[in-house]
Amino acid sequence: MSFPSRLQSWLRATLQRSGLEREMDSELRFHLEAYAEDLMRSGLSRSEALRRARLEFGGFERAKEECREARGISFLETLLQDLRYAARTLRKNPGFASIAVLTLALGIGASTAVFSLVNAILLRPLPYPDPDRIVMPELVSPPGVNLGSEYFPWGQIQFRMLTRDSHPFQAVGAFQNDSFNLTGTGDPFFLDGFRVSAEFFGALGISPALGRTFTTEEDQPGHEYEAILSDRLWRQRFAADPGVLGRTVRLNGYAYTVVGVMPASFAFPRTEEMPSSFNFPREPQLWVPFAIPAQPKGGPSELAIVARLKSGLTLEQAQSAMDLVTKHAEAQDPNFKGWFNTRVIPLARQVTGDTRRPLTLLLGAVGIVLLIACSNVANLLLTRSLGRRREFTLRAALGAGATRLIRQLLTESLLISVTAGAAGILMATAAVYFVKVLGPLNTPRLREVSLDLPVFAFTMAISMVTGVLFGFAPAIGATRENLADSLKTGGPRSGGGPFNPRLRHALLVSQVALALVLAISAGLLTRTFFRMLGADGGFRAERVLTFQLSLPPIKYRDPSHIVTLFDNTLDRLRSIPGVQSAGIGETVPMGGDGESTVIRLSDHPAATPQEWPFANYTIISPGFFSAIGAPLLRGRDFLESDTADSLPVAIVNAAMEKKYWPGQSALGKQVGPGGPRYPLLTIVGVVPDVKHISLREDTAPEMYVLFNQKPWPSMLNMRVALRTRNDPSSVTESVRDALHSIDPDLPLAKVATLTTLLDDSLSQPRFAMLLLACFGVLALVLAAIGMYGVVSYSVMQRTQEIGVRMAIGAGRGDVARMVLGQGARLAGMGLAIGLAASFAVARLMTSFLYGVRPTDPLTFIAVASLLVAVLLLACYLPARRAMRVDPIVALRQE
Amino acid sequence: MDKQLDLLQGTLDMLILKAVSLGPLHGYGVLLRIQQISRDCLEIQQGSLYPALYRLEHHGWIASEWGESENKRKAKYYRLTAAGKRKLLSEAEKWNRMTEVISGILGTTPEEV
Repeated sequence: MSFPSRLQSWLRATLQRSGLEREMDSELRFHLEAYAEDLMRSGLSRSEALRRARLEFGGFERAKEECREARGISFLETLLQDLRYAARTLRKNPGFASIAVLTLALGIGASTAVFSLVNAILLRPLPYPDPDRIVMPELVSPPGVNLGSEYFPWGQIQFRMLTRDSHPFQAVGAFQNDSFNLTGTGDPFFLDGFRVSAEFFGALGISPALGRTFTTEEDQPGHEYEAILSDRLWRQRFAADPGVLGRTVRLNGYAYTVVGVMPASFAFPRTEEMPSSFNFPREPQLWVPFAIPAQPKGGPSELAIVARLKSGLTLEQAQSAMDLVTKHAEAQDPNFKGWFNTRVIPLARQVTGDTRRPLTLLLGAVGIVLLIACSNVANLLLTRSLGRRREFTLRAALGAGATRLIRQLLTESLLISVTAGAAGILMATAAVYFVKVLGPLNTPRLREVSLDLPVFAFTMAISMVTGVLFGFAPAIGATRENLADSLKTGGPRSGGGPFNPRLRHALLVSQVALALVLAISAGLLTRTFFRMLGADGGFRAERVLTFQLSLPPIKYRDPSHIVTLFDNTLDRLRSIPGVQSAGIGETVPMGGDGESTVIRLSDHPAATPQEWPFANYTIISPGFFSAIGAPLLRGRDFLESDTADSLPVAIVNAAMEKKYWPGQSALGKQVGPGGPRYPLLTIVGVVPDVKHISLREDTAPEMYVLFNQKPWPSMLNMRVALRTRNDPSSVTESVRDALHSIDPDLPLAKVATLTTLLDDSLSQPRFAMLLLACFGVLALVLAAIGMYGVVSYSVMQRTQEIGVRMAIGAGRGDVARMVLGQGARLAGMGLAIGLAASFAVARLMTSFLYGVRPTDPLTFIAVASLLVAVLLLACYLPARRAMRVDPIVALRQE
Repeated sequence: MDKQLDLLQGTLDMLILKAVSLGPLHGYGVLLRIQQISRDCLEIQQGSLYPALYRLEHHGWIASEWGESENKRKAKYYRLTAAGKRKLLSEAEKWNRMTEVISGILGTTPEEV
C-alpha cells in the first residue's frame, strides 16, 4: 500500500474520529435493516426479522472493534489511552510525580540556563567576519621580570618596527584609549575614545554604518582631525542625524570632521574584553586617527594591537613569523634584548579572558546538578516500579503484550520528562532573565544572552533518555517474570536483575558523593567571598564621592597650567559645605589598575634588566590619603609646604617597604623613576596597601609622588576623591558648579561613590558565589530526596520483617537503629568517595580561592556535617514509620 | 491467528474485490452478490464482512462514497479502484495457479509417480 493512502486513512481516522464512528454505525444499521426487510418479505414480523438479522450478523460490537482496527487508528488511540492511564497513575501518586517532575525540572532548568550563558559568552563566534583570523599580538615580559602582569603594552617605536618588518598579518591596527571633551553641543561632554591606526577597522573587518573609515593619509601627524562616532553617541548627541557626516565637532578644543558612524553592535574594545593591564574605558564612543609618526620618538605610550592573519596562516605560523620580527628587532637595537618577545593570542580567547574560568566552574557545577537529578529520577523510577511489580504481572496475565506494557511504562516516563521539560524551560527563562538583570555588568556579551533552544533540546533529551532507560527496566523484568511466582509471593521480595537494590544503592552513593563535592566547592567559594569582604582594601569607602577630571589638552599644554588648575580646584572643592577633605590622584581605589614602571633605588643598584625593581607610580595631591581614608602608617603625609622648589618627596606603600627594605624602615630612603635623568625622591611616609581593582588582589609595590613636584602628561586625566560629612551624592551639584566656575569646558565624568565602586568590584565574585551556593543547596536537597526514597522504600519492603522482629522482642529503638544504620552505611560510603573527590576538585579550584586553603578543614567539616544531618533527617522520616509498625497488622498482611 | 484463518481471510478479500468489480455495491449488496454468483454455496459470516471492507479500503483497493439504495435509503457504496483492479488480477492469477497445482496433486494416480 502506498504511503499517502495509508497516511490519508490514518489522518482521516484521527481527525474525524467521531464522524467515522457515526458512519460506521449507520452503515451497519443499514445492513441490518436491509436484511430484515428481505426477511420480512418472506413473511416474518418486523421485530422478529430484526432479531434474526442481528443474530445472523454475529457480534455487533466485535465487528465494530475489528473495523476500527482495520481502519488503522490503533496507534493514536493506544497512545491516548496510555497517556490517560499514565496521567491517572501519576495523579494517584502525587508525591512521586511531583518529586520526579520537580527534580528533573530543576536539573533541566539550571543546565539550560547555564549552558545558554556559556554558549553566548564562550562559544558563539565574535561578531566580526572570519573571527578566527583576528588576533592580538602581545608583548611578553622577559623571563624573571615581574611587571605585575604577564604582558606589557606596545610602544610606538615597537609598533613601527613591526609594521616595517614582514609580518604575518593582512592588516594590523594599533589603538590606545584617550579621553575627549566634546564642546559646542550643550554641556561639555566627557567621551571615552580611542586613537586608532588606519588598519584598525580593516583588521576587525568592520565597516561603518554611515560614511567611511580613516585613510592612510589621515593617519599621519597633522592630518588626524577626523572622527568616527559610536552609534550611541550619534543618537545621544546628534539626534541620529545622517547629515552629521562632514560636520565639524570640537574635541579637546580642536576641530574634527565627522567621517563615519559605526553600527550599534560595534564597541571595540570594551574594557572587560581587554587584558587587565590596560586601563581601558568601559565602552568607546569615538575613534580618531592615531597618527603615529614614521619615526616615533621614545616616551610613554601604551598601545594595544589587533591584527588579522593573512588568509591560510595558522596561529603557529603567525607566532614563528613574529619570533622572526623579534630577532630582527633585537639585531637592530640591543636594548630590545628580552623586551620584544611576543605572543599571538586569538581575539576570541582574549575577549572571554578571565570570564572563561568562572563559567567553566559553573558548567562543572551544573553538570553535577544534572547528573544528580537524573540519577535521582532513575532511582525514583526504579523504586516505584518495584512497588508496581504485581500490577504489571497481573496485566501481563490478563493478556497485555510485552510491547504494550513497555509502551505504557515509556509513556509514563515520557510524561514525566515532558512535564519536567515544560517546567524547566520556564525556570530557565526566569533564570536567564535574572542573570541578565542581576549579573555582573562587566561580563562580556551578557546582553546577548538568550535562552538557547538547541541547548534546551539537548538537556531535555538527556532527561528523556534517563526516564526511558530506567522506566524501561521494570517492564523488561515484568515481561520475563514468572507470572505465577510473582503473584504468589505477592510482591518484590525475591528477585535480582533490575530489582537488585545494588543498582539503586550505587546510584544513591554517587548522588551523595557528587552533592558533597558540589557543596564543598560552594562552601569554599562562600568562605572566599566573606574573606574578601573582610579583607583590608587600605581605604574607607563610606561617604566618599569620586569623579574624573579630564583637561582639554589644547588649553593645558603647559604643566604649570595643570598645577595651577589642580590647586584652584582643590581650594574650591574644599570650600564646598559638607566636604571634609579633597584629593586628586591618578587612580582611586577600585577605580582601575595602577601603572607599573621600572624604578631606581639608590641602595639597590641593579646589574641586569632581570633585577630591575619596579613599582606602581602614582601621582597624587596632598589630601588624597585622608580623602580615601588611608591612614598613614609611619612618617608624614604630603603637605602644602611640599612644592616644586622644596625637597622632592615620595610616599610608599607597605608592600614596597617590605619588598625592597625587608625588616627596615623605608623612611629616608631614596627612590626614583627608572633612568638616571630623573631625580631621586626621598621617602617621607608609608601608607597601607591600597587595592586597585579587587579586594582579593595581591598588592604590588606602589610609590606616590606629588603632582606639583613632577608634572606629567598623564595628569590630563585624574580622579578626584571627596570625603563628605553626610551623603556624598548630595554635593554633586556643588561640585559641578565649582568646576564650571573654574573652567566652563571641564566635564564632570564618571561620578561614583567609593561604595559603588567597591560594590561593582564585588559583583562578579558575589554572583559566582551565589550561583554556586544555589547549586550546592540544590545538590544537598536532591541527595536528601534520593536518600529518603531509598530508605523509605526499603522500610516498606521490610514491613513484615520488622513486624516479626518486634513480635519476638525487638524494641522501637532497635528498629530505628536498623533503618538508620542502613542509611548511615550508604551515606558513609558516599561521604568517603565525595571527600576524596572534593580534595581533588578543590585543588583545581585554587585560583578561585582567596584567604582559604583548598583543604580548609572548617569548610570540609562543616559541609560534610551539614550533609550528614540532612541525610539523617531524610532517614528519620522512614525510620519513624518503621517504629510505628504494628506487629499484628504487619504479620496479618501475609 | 492461525493459517487457516489467514487463507479464509484472503479468500474473502478476493471475493469482495470480484463482487465490486462488477459494479458499485453497498455492504449488504456485496453479501447478496457473492451468494447469488455462488448460487448460495458459500456462506459468509456477516460480522466479518465489514472489517474486510474497511481493511480493503484502508489499503486503497476499494473506495467508498455515500449514495442512495434501491429503496431510497442512504447507503455506503464501494467501488473498485485502479489499485484494486491490479490486486484482483494478481490474486486471481495466484488463486488459479494454486488450484491448478493442488488439483494436479490431488488428481495424481500411483502410475504417474
